[in-house]
Amino acid sequence: MSTQRSGRAAITGIGVVAPNGQRTDAYWKSVREGLSVLDRITREGCGHMPLQVAGEVQGFDPSALIEDRFLVQTDRFSHFAMAAAALALDDAGLGGGAPAEPFSVGVVTAAGSGGGEFGQRELQKLWGQGSKFVGPYQSIAWFYAASTGQISIRGGFKGPCGVVASDEAGGLDSLAHAARAVRRGTGTMLAGAAEAPLAPYSMVCQLGYPELSTVAEPDRAYRPFTSSACGFVPAEGGALLVVEDERKAVERGVPVRATLAGHAATFTSAARWADSREGLARAIRGALDEAGCAPEDIDVVFADAMGVPEADRAEAQAIGDALGGHGRRVPVTAPKTGIGRAYCAAPVLDTVAAVLAMEHGQVPPTPNVFDVCHDLDLVTERARPAELRTALVLSRGLMGSNAALVVRRGGESAR
Amino acid sequence: MITTEVTFDELAALMKKAAGITVDPQELRQSAESPFDSFGLDSLGLLGIVGELENRYGRSLPPDSERCKTPQEFLDLVNSTLKAGA
Repeated sequence: MSTQRSGRAAITGIGVVAPNGQRTDAYWKSVREGLSVLDRITREGCGHMPLQVAGEVQGFDPSALIEDRFLVQTDRFSHFAMAAAALALDDAGLGGGAPAEPFSVGVVTAAGSGGGEFGQRELQKLWGQGSKFVGPYQSIAWFYAASTGQISIRGGFKGPCGVVASDEAGGLDSLAHAARAVRRGTGTMLAGAAEAPLAPYSMVCQLGYPELSTVAEPDRAYRPFTSSACGFVPAEGGALLVVEDERKAVERGVPVRATLAGHAATFTSAARWADSREGLARAIRGALDEAGCAPEDIDVVFADAMGVPEADRAEAQAIGDALGGHGRRVPVTAPKTGIGRAYCAAPVLDTVAAVLAMEHGQVPPTPNVFDVCHDLDLVTERARPAELRTALVLSRGLMGSNAALVVRRGGESAR
Repeated sequence: MITTEVTFDELAALMKKAAGITVDPQELRQSAESPFDSFGLDSLGLLGIVGELENRYGRSLPPDSERCKTPQEFLDLVNSTLKAGA
């Protein structure tokens, strides 16, 4: 694929709805500054739970962004996805109005928890009032596929659509899926993920994860790669990218922000973090192979950063296994420690951060993390200026999926 | 007010409540033979309206009511059912 000059998958649009910024520029400013927005959970009905700290998207008003006829039939996770998709299309110069070639635009998203809040509301009607009070949109709103479907309906997109259900790493897999669709001839894909796991039922579903941090102090709850690592905190929000054929982007005269150069995924079973070392290392090698990259070509690594000592160790070792001596020298960062892990959306937000880091020539820091106890050059405290051409984004899921994505800077280096 | 007649005004309000669709009652009346999808109402939206009416009147509507294609057809069926049961 690396030698293939035509049909490369280019990122031409970015849409972000994140706890630290509800537009791409606001997100980047927070990421670059190393701002942490982790805080006590304020959403209704969640106050009594042992999970107390998360990254909430506060002040998000879906009714200002999305028509009522879509709002009544969708959950918050789809609201985030639809909002991010619209922002991405605008950024790519494709917003507003029906697409000129509807069959050449497709959508692929990943989701880990679906529409839990909507589902809870309808189930409460079922047991509180009776089956006749359950609305018909319960049949679609909770479903993992809802965001892909609603984005395509709202935009009038009739190209190939898909949903990736492969755990948190599915966020990267959705981008790979989009790149494949583009290489097979689909002009434009919207790809990414959004999640809304901060509602009572959805939170109860997470309480059984031993990796979940129940620390109540926001600045201490999620500190991967340190001796005080105590698990991860969840987040809501997400990001969608416009991925299109690089030639088409050049024809349209829009900037190629980055290219999706290589991806690979592996599976090493739930909660077997030591095994994820080999799984992640193989995913990294596979992504490098597809991108035609040597380990030394990687200028920055966006780590998965689970925040569980055994998992952090496995990730640090995997980076060393796959990148050799370069693995100890390459800057590594995990901006998600400032916002939490938005499940499938986490690696998509990291991919956005990687693109922006390359555009701005700055490796953003890892908020709340000091005293790194692994053999990694983890960037902490403040952004580090660097010439960045190629980034590696890593992701693992609680159920055992691992994925790696190589992203190349756009502009001249993309040609 | 207890009524056994569902009006265009009420149907317009139900389309807003159940399916998020804003439609002028006057326009709904004038275009009563136009298909529901021309107003943006899909089959699940109509099913939601049927459910709202069944709960409001405490009785079942015939299975055909959720298959009606136009506002006029739907109101005729609903109102004849409600009258028959009154």
